[in-house]
Formats: sequence, structure tokens, C-alpha cells
Amino acid sequence: MTLTEAKKVTVRKKKINAKALPAKTLAWVVMVAFALFSVIPMTWLVLAPSKTQVGLQEDPPMSFGTFQGYIDAWNNLMLFQDGRLVTWLWNSIWYTSIQVLVACLIAILGGYALAATRMPFRKSMLITTLVAMIVPQVAFVLPLFVEITTLGLYDTAWAIILPGTFFPFGVFLSYIYFSTTIPHDLYEAARIDGSGDWGVFFRIALPLSKGLIGMLAFFSFQVNWINFFLPYVVVNSGEVLTLPVGLGILFSSTPALNPQVGANVLPIRGPEIALAGLLIAIPILLIFLASSRLLVRGVLAGSVKS
Amino acid sequence: MFKHRAQLMSRINGFLMFFPYLLLLVMFAVVPIVLAASVSLEESLTNPGGGFGNYLFVLQDFRFLPALINVLLFLLIYLPTMLIVVAGLSLMLDSIKARHSVPLRLAYLVPAGITGSVAILVWYFMLEPTYSPFAPLFAEFGWTQGTDIFNSSNLIYIFALMTFFTGAGNWIVIQYGSLQSIPDELLEAARIDGANSLQVAFRIKLPLIRKYLVYMLVLVMAAGLQIFVEPYLLSSSVYPGIAKDWSLNQLSYTLAFLGSNLGAATALSLMLLVVMLGLALIVIFRTDFFDEAKTKIKES
Repeated sequence: MTLTEAKKVTVRKKKINAKALPAKTLAWVVMVAFALFSVIPMTWLVLAPSKTQVGLQEDPPMSFGTFQGYIDAWNNLMLFQDGRLVTWLWNSIWYTSIQVLVACLIAILGGYALAATRMPFRKSMLITTLVAMIVPQVAFVLPLFVEITTLGLYDTAWAIILPGTFFPFGVFLSYIYFSTTIPHDLYEAARIDGSGDWGVFFRIALPLSKGLIGMLAFFSFQVNWINFFLPYVVVNSGEVLTLPVGLGILFSSTPALNPQVGANVLPIRGPEIALAGLLIAIPILLIFLASSRLLVRGVLAGSVKS
Repeated sequence: MFKHRAQLMSRINGFLMFFPYLLLLVMFAVVPIVLAASVSLEESLTNPGGGFGNYLFVLQDFRFLPALINVLLFLLIYLPTMLIVVAGLSLMLDSIKARHSVPLRLAYLVPAGITGSVAILVWYFMLEPTYSPFAPLFAEFGWTQGTDIFNSSNLIYIFALMTFFTGAGNWIVIQYGSLQSIPDELLEAARIDGANSLQVAFRIKLPLIRKYLVYMLVLVMAAGLQIFVEPYLLSSSVYPGIAKDWSLNQLSYTLAFLGSNLGAATALSLMLLVVMLGLALIVIFRTDFFDEAKTKIKES
């Protein structure tokens, strides 16, 4: 403890209840310990591809290998089915882009209609949306599989993309946003000025909803980018798959996680599989950190204020 | 007359704006359920007379009860841990200055990137003593082999750890946000009345975020009941067979794609879906969580 810190502590002791100090210290210890525990696995994942397979086992787990390690791991990964990983990565990127774009647009319009127009059956539509948003998407996977095969979309990109554009949580967030954050008088004023519903939406509501759009994009990206079960079930061909499912295929067809898969001679081991995992994790991490301010301001607090 | 016309236009425009979403709702929620229900009721090998035979078949399947018990035990560990850690840490974060908590909040968000198939990858290396940064700690408990940790009696803890870790930080930050919205005057008043920070946390703050915590528990429980990726991948590629048909969704996957019994698989899926719908309706009508949202729509 430095002198100034010691001083601060004594000053505090005078100011606040002496009993509260141990509690406060304990709280700090718990918070910092949980923070450390939170960053260790991701740090490991970032460091792992820099090492060799031997280094991964024998060097200290949190040490750094070489930058060449990343390049070697990438080159080895490219040996798997002639660079299939690049196809998966590209698929994940364009599927998710379409999903985020379409899901957000449709959700904003739907939420606005619920909040600011005289659309019929508003109450029952809101309740239906709440139900759809609480039931997890995974619950629909088998029913969706039945539908997708019936429609003849099995093993196509659309089988993955289309269900991901259904975004009831986004409609709910937009509804809350348009009915609480933007004052109702504003819509009325615009109407008196002669704007129709569409005019009010494009000229007033949309320009005022940058924060909302950010939040919607964040949530729909998160859900769709990592989705595993549905793509796994509705698509079979390697060239249509996404990165998270591809990672699962790497698990089962290389000795990286299971040395018993010995027949495979490809040099895809720990560092390579870690690099593939990193490609999925990094975009989520970056988007989380970039939108942490939105999150902190309160997804629930801001939207469902009591 | 003019006003009437404007209202009519608003009804039409509102419907047009809502229509794309309504189409998706029908396409990807209603139609799949109807189709799945009809498949589950069709005549098949396990459902010779048609009707509810498939439902009975699933309930009597020797794998059903163990899978149900696994998932319930998993929830029994996962839900309380989530509640205690999220409530505890968000209250602790709220007790310090906002700017001091920034690095902590960012650190808590980091594990959100480790989810689904990546979670299996990372936790394999975190728990396998040959690779793990926690190996010295494991050695204290006498765990030196992968199989000391990855064995069937530890599975509920392993999956609870994976799913807890992916979501906890996210929820801590969200609940911290809810705590921040409590008016300062209220907390100040409690302090003037002589409440210390622990009392303020437990008697004022906790009751005020109670409904957010309940909402979190319902979402987490709904997702937990549906657990699939973690046991499926662990069992299909890392430790073959270790968690075969461990969860209810794995069983429905097995029935559909390995047992070619789509009728029974959709029956199981729909039974789970009914539980989810029940949970959703309880939250909507039996808790106060959405009251504000619901009353808003009446006013307008």
C-alpha cells in the first residue's frame, strides 16, 4: 500500500462507518476475482494459436508463443478440405448481415406500428410478441425443420437465413422505445402538420432512433452469429454451413480435441482449433465491448422503466 | 368526418407497417407449430392408430426420464448460482463509483464471446489438466487426468459452468443498469434514516430490481431446459458417448435424425414448447414485469 492509499483509507475510516470497511474490501476482492476469472479463458484463446501443439501442453498456459504461430495455424487450417473454413467464415458473414439488416428493419416498423398507429388488434399482437420473445428459438428448431423440408428449402442458405429474421424481442424493444422515449405529442404535432404515418415514421421516429437501431443490431447479430442447432439441422452440405457448425465439424473430424481421431493426418491440433474458435469469438467480443455503453445504460432499465 | 378518415388511414398504415413482421410471425412460429403438430399426430410405426400415440411413446421411452432428471438437476445448480452471483455482483458494482467499475464491467462482458461450439472448445482446454491454466488447482483435488473431470457424474457441473459463464457477465451488466435507474433521493433518504450500505442493498435495492431478476430467471430457465449444443458436441466429438441423449433436446434430435422417428421427435419438441408457452404466459399475466408495456397500449 502506498502512502497516499494508506492516507485515503484512514480518511475514509473517519468519514464512514468503520464496520463498512471490511465489507467494502471484501466486495472489491470478489469483484476483482470474478473479473480475472472472466478474462482468463478468452486470454487463453487469444494466446493459444501463437504456440505449437507441444508448446500448448508444456509451456505455461498463459504464455505467448510467436506471431509466426498464428500464420502456421492459419496455413494448417487451410489444409482442411481446401480452405473450407474461408467458405464458412464468408457464409457466416453474409448470412448474418442479411439477418441483421432485415430483422432490424422489420422490427422497427412493427414496433412503431404498435406504439404510434391505430393498427387493429394492438393488444393481442403485443401479447403474442411477448410470448414469442420469451420462448427460446431452440424450441422451434424441429418444427422449423419440418416446415423447411416441406417448403423444399432444406440444405439451402435460406433455410438458415429466413428464420433468423424473425425478431420478436426487437419488435418489443422498438415498441417500448417509440412509446416511452419519444413523446406522443411529437407524433401528434407532426400529424397536425400534415404528415401521414409513413411521413412521421421516416421524418421523426427513424432519425430519433439511432440508439434503438444500435441495440437491435447488437442483439440480432449476437443471436444469429453463434446459432448452432438450426443451421446444424437444416443444412447438410459443407459449402452452405456457417462457422459455428463448421467448428463442430472440425471437432469431430480432426484429432484436435479427441486424439482418438488418429486416422486424420492433417496437422489440425490445439492451436489450429483455437484459431478457428477465435474467429467466432472475436467479432462477438468486439461488438460487446463497443456497445457496452448501450448495455450499461440499461437494456431493461431504459426500456422497461417502472 | 375528417378525423374519422384520419383514424382509418392510421389503422391501414399501421397494419401495413406491422405486416412484414406478422408474416414472419406466421411463417416461423405459427406454421411450424401447426406442421409439427400434424406430423406428431400422423399414423406411423410408433403411432399405429394416429392420435397421441407418439406423445405416449416418448414419455415411456427409457431415455426420457433420465434426460428430464439431468436437465432438472442441471437447472437446480445453474439457476441459483446465476441468481446469487448476478444479484450479488451487480449490487457490489452499484456500491462503488461508476467510473471505478468501468474496467470491471468490461471484463465481465468478455466471456459472452465464449458460447455454443466455442464454449465446448475453450472449456475443454480449461478443464483438461494437460492444458489448463487451473491445472495446479485441479492437482490439489487429485484431478490429473481428463477423465477425472470429464466423467458422467460431473456433467451437470460442467454444463452449468459453461452456460453460467457465457451469460452471467451479460446479466450482471444489465442488472447493474437497472440498479442505476433507482432515484438517488430514495437511497439518500434511507441513509439519512440510518441504514448502512448492506441494509440499503438488501432492503431497498434488491426489492426494486426483483422483477428484473425474476424475468432473468425465466429466460435463463427457458434456455436451460432447451440445452443442446454443449452436451451434444461434447458427446459427439470430444468424449464420444459421454453425454449421449443427456438432455431432452438431444433425445428429440436422436429420435428425428438417428431413429428416423420424426413423429416422436416433434411430439417431444411440442411438449417442451408447451412448457415454454406456459412459462411465458405466467410471466406476462402473473407477474408485474410487463404491466407498464401492457397499459401503454390501452392508453393510446
